[in-house]
Formats: sequence, structure tokens, C-alpha cells
Amino acid sequence: MSIVIRGARLIDPSKQLDQVTDLHIKDHYIEAIGDLTGVNADTEIDAKGMILSPSFIDLHTCLRDLNQIQKGTIASETRAAASAGFTHLCTSPDTQPCSDAGSVINMVKNKAAAAGFCDLLPVAALTKDLKGAQLSNMESLSGAGCIGFSNASYDISNNTVLLRCYEYAATFGLKVFVQAQDQQLGSGQMHAGPTATRMGLDGIPVIAETLAISRHLQFMQHTGVSGHFNQLTSAAGVALIREAKAQGMKVTADVGIAHLCFTDTAVQGYHSQYHVQPPLREESDRKALLVGIVDGTLDAICSAHQPHESAAKCAPFAATASGMATYDMLVPLIQKLVDAGDLTWALAIQALSCNSATIALRKMTSLTLGEEANLTLIDPNYHWTLNSSSQLSHGTNQALANQQLKARVKLTIKAGHISYKV
Amino acid sequence: MTNSGNLQLTENGELRHFLTPEGLDRLMLERILDTADSFVVIGNQEVKKVPLLRGRTVVNLFFENSTRTRSTFELAAKRLSADVLTLDIKTSATSKGESLLDTLQNLRAMHSDMFVVRHSDSGAAHFIASQVTPDVAIINAGDGRHAHPTQAMLDMLTIRRHKGKFESLSVAIVGDILHSRVARDQVHALKILGCSDIRLVGPNTLMPQAITSMGVTTHKNMDSGIDGVDVVIMLRLQTERMDSAFLPSAGEYFRLYGLTTERLAQAKPDAIVMHPGPINRGIEIESAVADGPQSMILHQVGYGIALRMAVMSMAMSGQMQQRHAKAVNPLSLEREPQP
Repeated sequence: MSIVIRGARLIDPSKQLDQVTDLHIKDHYIEAIGDLTGVNADTEIDAKGMILSPSFIDLHTCLRDLNQIQKGTIASETRAAASAGFTHLCTSPDTQPCSDAGSVINMVKNKAAAAGFCDLLPVAALTKDLKGAQLSNMESLSGAGCIGFSNASYDISNNTVLLRCYEYAATFGLKVFVQAQDQQLGSGQMHAGPTATRMGLDGIPVIAETLAISRHLQFMQHTGVSGHFNQLTSAAGVALIREAKAQGMKVTADVGIAHLCFTDTAVQGYHSQYHVQPPLREESDRKALLVGIVDGTLDAICSAHQPHESAAKCAPFAATASGMATYDMLVPLIQKLVDAGDLTWALAIQALSCNSATIALRKMTSLTLGEEANLTLIDPNYHWTLNSSSQLSHGTNQALANQQLKARVKLTIKAGHISYKV
Repeated sequence: MTNSGNLQLTENGELRHFLTPEGLDRLMLERILDTADSFVVIGNQEVKKVPLLRGRTVVNLFFENSTRTRSTFELAAKRLSADVLTLDIKTSATSKGESLLDTLQNLRAMHSDMFVVRHSDSGAAHFIASQVTPDVAIINAGDGRHAHPTQAMLDMLTIRRHKGKFESLSVAIVGDILHSRVARDQVHALKILGCSDIRLVGPNTLMPQAITSMGVTTHKNMDSGIDGVDVVIMLRLQTERMDSAFLPSAGEYFRLYGLTTERLAQAKPDAIVMHPGPINRGIEIESAVADGPQSMILHQVGYGIALRMAVMSMAMSGQMQQRHAKAVNPLSLEREPQP
């Protein structure tokens, strides 16, 4: 099987490549890059005006399934991920049942393999059942293909247990992923600020994040563990990561697409679609997160995709489930940031693909001859409406439902095969 | 400003739900107060009933315990000649959303015209008005720590009847601002009605984040906070605040923020003292003050019925106009799209 993509703008920040040309895929691999006039293939794609990049790797997503199929299935959500340009997904361990056993990991991976849209790189539970008491079988889980360990949104309040987690991870050179939010200070429903005060909702102060970051940085420094922070939300949080990196620590961090694009004011009117954890913060925080991506303090952009059924969001705000289904709107949101001059596509691709691949302990995908073809083709000028017939995620918690959007993934190629096509 | 500003009004700008004063204009609040004034007069007559809501069904839905608010709403509806059903509904911790939706849709199918709703979640009344039963008039009888608009407006009625114009007044609200749905709505209403000196008095643990963004000043010291004010509004202090580390003890709180005769002397000599009730004597207010000549506490209770009659009659009238204008079938189970 061969594919020729003609006239696309090839962007690969890892190769300093930004050039309009053709690309030929043959037998899973990149066969040729350059003027391919006269070369024929089984599938020809006219990609004038489109962007072709290495495929995206998601550092944080929730696929539901297992005991939560009302929210989404692995097939539906990995397909939605492919439609956002992803070929590899780091799944959060807060599955039901919890991803703390090889059997659960294998079941999830097998389901994804059967669906065929994305490969999973699971992040397993750091402690059994995420309860913060007993260590999970980290070494065995690593052998089962888990690329890191996290306690998801559940704090390990006992410092002795947390130290043991880090020490054990350090023994085997395992990576620890951290969702940095103090659980007690994070018990509110939205960012503690003027909007929360007006609406009478319990606020989550920025110190809930900075306290957790500082705490985990200390453990990482003490044990030498390589750590990754998921979903930063605040300017102060970005500053802590910047400082840690300046001190030479082996630490990386990402930001969720929602936090790059929305602020706490979106919650006004009790809009439960913007009820997310960690919470959306203020405009100054959003700007600082963007600066973090631009200056490299923040390595990656993740989806933090969390699909829900409609009933989960249909209640008074505090009683609604947190989380946003983001796959269907991810590329349009990036385009919006590009159009606003906040981001370039090269930076976005660096954050969605090159850097996230390195963090996920995966060989970087790149637009290089002889490499396995994992590619994303984006039409930045495609206008469409996000609605129940155009969305692919089962999640009805679409913040931009019924809105006109610009830009869409036209094609995702995983290991030389088309995994998604409009 | 929240969306509730528009949600509360018909296309012609009439009141159809009453969720919070926020987003309403001065004219609307003054109309509510004027209407309430006329009902105060009715309350003094031998026959206290008027037929404004005859044939209408009002359902009091109390998802949270309340005796005083519930009974004044019930009395207000009866004085307006409505058929009244009062339900105490315990919220199920596991499926609050579903049970709320189901309960309301069932009641709507029984041709209810108005729901008076009290719920422990902020935004509950807003949720019902916007997404569950938009064609039933919703009166918010208190939602979480967000709003309690009829209490705030009866306080405005008390102030207007006893102090006159709002522009020249200084008002201090003292105590647990953080957990108070009344304080937020009092601030909104006072601002809308033209009051420019609104002072919130309390320790940092009971003061919401960024509250000064609502156009108020904050005071840690009670004496300076009530210095020269025309109105002192004391808030009820829940005793569980001591257990959850907001305050060290009731004794220290009373020493620092309790309203005593001596402390009240800092305010203007003709200052009035208000409290939404029920009061904690010796915790936030001294008995001599609560029962003293400057206290408006019992007046507030009487005005509460008149104010609730006003809001219920206005919202019912607006909602009926909206129904006729849109020719909405009240039994239609179609819902407005979610935001």
C-alpha cells in the first residue's frame, strides 16, 4: 500500500522543516519527501493549503469504557482521538476498575488494538486503587507496557508513602506523572476569584497547585526521579516549573487545551460544560501558560479529554461531573490561538508531537526518510459546525457545541495506514 | 454579570423568574419595592387576601430545611389566593441531578405554574429556570451560598421604609460573608439601588476571595467598619464554622464582631439594625440590641410576606404573558437547549 500526499506544508520542528512539498508513504514507511511529480500511489491526496506534521501524542486522556461505557468506549474515544490527529495516547489510571493491575492494562490495550485507531501508552496507578496506601506493582506494570505512574487526581497525603513511591520508581528508572493539586484545597468547584465569589461556588485557590508542585519537586529532587506534571493551570505554577528547569531538574510539564483557551469567566451562568478539574483560571494565568509553551517551560499540550453522558452535566453546577470532551475541538482551538497570534503551528506541533513523544518515552516520530509513517494532515481553512452529527466522541460535554469552527484534521496516518479520514 | 439577568425577564422586560437581583435594573427593583409597599397595607387589613393568583398552582420545593422562609412563602401564596403545595425533599447524595430533574418534570406535568425553590447547591434555581422548566415561574428561595433574593429585597424594603433614599446611606454587613447567600444579594441590590458606601466586616476566613470586585470595602475591625453607618446588617453565624476552623470560638467572635449597645454607638444615632434571622443571641448580637429600639428584626419578618407576595405576583404575570406570547404548551416536555 502506498500513499502520496501532494503540495502540503510539511512542518517538523525536530528537523527544522517547514516547506511546501510532497511526501510518499510505502509499506508503512516514509519513502520519499520532495517533488514527487510522476510518482504514482494507491492513494493520492491533494493537500494544497494543508499542514502535514508528525502525528500527535496525547499525554493525558480518559477513555472511559470498562465500567463507564455510558460516557464513551475505547473504540469511540480512540476514533475521536484519531480525528484530532493523535496516534498514541497516554491514558490516565483513574479508569473503573483502576489501572493498577496488568489485567486491566492488557484489557484496555487489547480493546484499543482491536479498534485500530490509536496505540495506548498507559500511565498506571502509583498506588493500589489510587488509595495512597500501598505501592502498585510498578515494575510488572512497566513490563506490561505502562510508560509512567500517577495517582491521578488523588493526593497521597502520607509523606512516607509518597517517599516510598518515589524511591521505588527511582529504583527502576520509572517516570512519575503528577496532577498537581492539593486535594483538600482543591475541594471546590472552580477557580477562587471574583467569578466564584459572585456565583457562590467554592473556590480552588492557586496555592492548591503551587503547594502540590513544590511538594512533588522536592520528592523528585530527593530521589532523582524524572517527573512530569500534567495540566498546569496557573502563572505561579509555570514559574515554579521554570525555576526547577533552570536548576537543572529532570522535570517536564504540560497544559490542557482547555486551560490554554478558556478562563473562569466561562463558568458564568453556571455553564457546567466549563466545570473542569483542575479549574480554569484567570486571563493572566492563561497568558502565562501560553508564554510557557512559547519559551519551552511547558513542554506539551494535552487533550485532558473526559467525555461524559448528558445527565452528568445536567444538574446544579456543584453536582455536575467535571471534565470536558476536547478531541472534537482540539485542532480548531489550536487554530484559534494561531489566528490570535498566541501560537504558531510549528510551536503547536512541537508541543503536541515532538516533545510529548519524548516525555512518553517513545521514539520521536518525525518526517524523515525511512521512518515509520505516523502523520497528521490538517486543513487550517476548513469551516465546519460541531454538532451531534459531526462529533466523533461519545461525550456530549462539548463546550463549543453548535458553534462554527475553523480547521480540522483531514487525515491521520498510523504506521503507514489511514486511521482517520474526513 | 451572569446570564440570569436576561433569563429572569420576558421578551418585554417583565419579571418571569426571580433568581437574583444581579442583572436587573433599578427600575425593576423599585417596582418590586413599590408593589411590596402596597401589599404591606393589605397585611394590615382585616381581610388579607387578594385574588391575584387565583387558579394558579404554586409548589414550594424545599430541598434544604427551612421553617421561616418556607412558611412566609406559603402564607404569601395563600394571601394571593393560589393553590399551594409544599414539599420537603431530601436530596439524594448520589443522584442529585437525576432526582431533581425527575421531580421537577413530574411536578410540571401536574400543571404547576410556579416553583419556589430552596436548594443547597449554588445555581440550582438558575439550572431549573434555564434547563428544566423554563415555562414555570421560578422563585429562588435560597441556593447554596449564591443568592437569596427575596430576603435581600425585603431588607431593601425595610431600609427604604425606615431610612429613605439609598444614595446617601452607609451600610455595614457584618459577619460570615463567605457562606452568606443573603450578603451577596444585599450587595447587588444596594449597588443597583444607588448605595455607594457598602462595607463588609469580618475576619479574612469569612471573607470571600476578590469580594472588593463587587464594589464594596472590607473591614477587619468592627468599630471602624460600622463607624458612622446608617444601617448595620448582622449575619447569622452557623455554629459549625467553629468546627471547620473558620473561627476559634464563639466567645472570641462575639468579642470581636458581636453587636453590643456600646459598639452600636459607633454608628449614627438613628442607625437601624437588621438581621435575616434566626438570631444567635450572645454570638453575633446582644439581646439588648436585638430587642432594642433600633432593631428592625420583627419588621423584617412582616415585610417578608409582602415582598414575597410582590415578587410572586409579578413573576406569575410575566410568565403568563410569556406563555401566551410564545403559545407554549405548558405540558410540552421539550427543553431549551443547554448552554
